[in-house]
Amino acid sequence: MATIPEVMSDTPTRDDQDRSGGPAGPDQILPDGDPVEQPSADTPARRYTDEQKYQVFNKEFMPHIDSMYNFAFRLTTDEDDANDLVQDTYLKAFRFISSFEQGTNAKAWLFRILKNSFINDYRKKSKEPAKVDYQDVETTYNSEDAESEHTVDLRAESVSDLIGDEVATALNSLPVDFRTVIILCDIEGFTYEEMAKILDIPIGTVRSRLHRARNLLKEKLRDYASSMGYKEESEE
Amino acid sequence: MKEHCDHQVDCLKMIQLILDGEATDQQLARLKANLVSCQPCIQMYHLEQEVKELLTKRMEKKCCPEKLVATIKSKILTFS
Ligand SMILES: [Zn+2]
Repeated sequence: MATIPEVMSDTPTRDDQDRSGGPAGPDQILPDGDPVEQPSADTPARRYTDEQKYQVFNKEFMPHIDSMYNFAFRLTTDEDDANDLVQDTYLKAFRFISSFEQGTNAKAWLFRILKNSFINDYRKKSKEPAKVDYQDVETTYNSEDAESEHTVDLRAESVSDLIGDEVATALNSLPVDFRTVIILCDIEGFTYEEMAKILDIPIGTVRSRLHRARNLLKEKLRDYASSMGYKEESEE
Repeated sequence: MKEHCDHQVDCLKMIQLILDGEATDQQLARLKANLVSCQPCIQMYHLEQEVKELLTKRMEKKCCPEKLVATIKSKILTFS
């Protein structure tokens, strides 16, 4: 399994500058406006020639563009926002290409940039329906009571007739942090370890967030499944 | 066959680990034992599997518009 490059490790000077940047996490990989192009003399710089840059970009980054677009669309639920987000991500990736090490996991590297850009630039304006406070949900689902209720009265057979739109709507109705772990795991097939690095959270948090996200999703799906049960009788 | 599972929450967590390919051999062995003897675990397993499949197979995968690909490619050419 390929690992995600520790992009910080070869640019120690940035670390100090970043500390002022608010809560740890989002900005870690690619602080806006902070050029990484000039690594200090004692770091193993990956000085790609221009030709190599384009080569890396085309061979390692471009093949993931459909997945990236899909991720952007699932996060923003809007095509224009997804367009902007993907474009910004790819331009950043090119600008900071010297901190990408060839042969490492380009897809995870790109996803991490996109996720950070989303948090920094798009989250505020994203049109999330009925925005739930993430902390609230996390707290609610931390209680054992909530968990045991959620070994759900939903049957595999009853979800087997759901269509894509219903699944998408159910997914979109989840708070974005829960939606994100489901996208990364179930749609993109990242490992927990890769997800932990993309999201800057411990692996234990990945595990529990995913568990809660799925319980929430099953609740939403149960609503669809039961509304379908009623429809069947009227033979639409 | 057990009609009632005493550790449903833990079993559910384990089932998810297994379906995600993240379980240890030990967890795998434990679940296999449950799956022949515990009715609620069998149901949970099928439900989790079905939900995962809904997400991977039934949801539309958006493709990046060609126009955007072209824009990105032309923009990076003006960069260096
Ligand atoms: Zn059981």
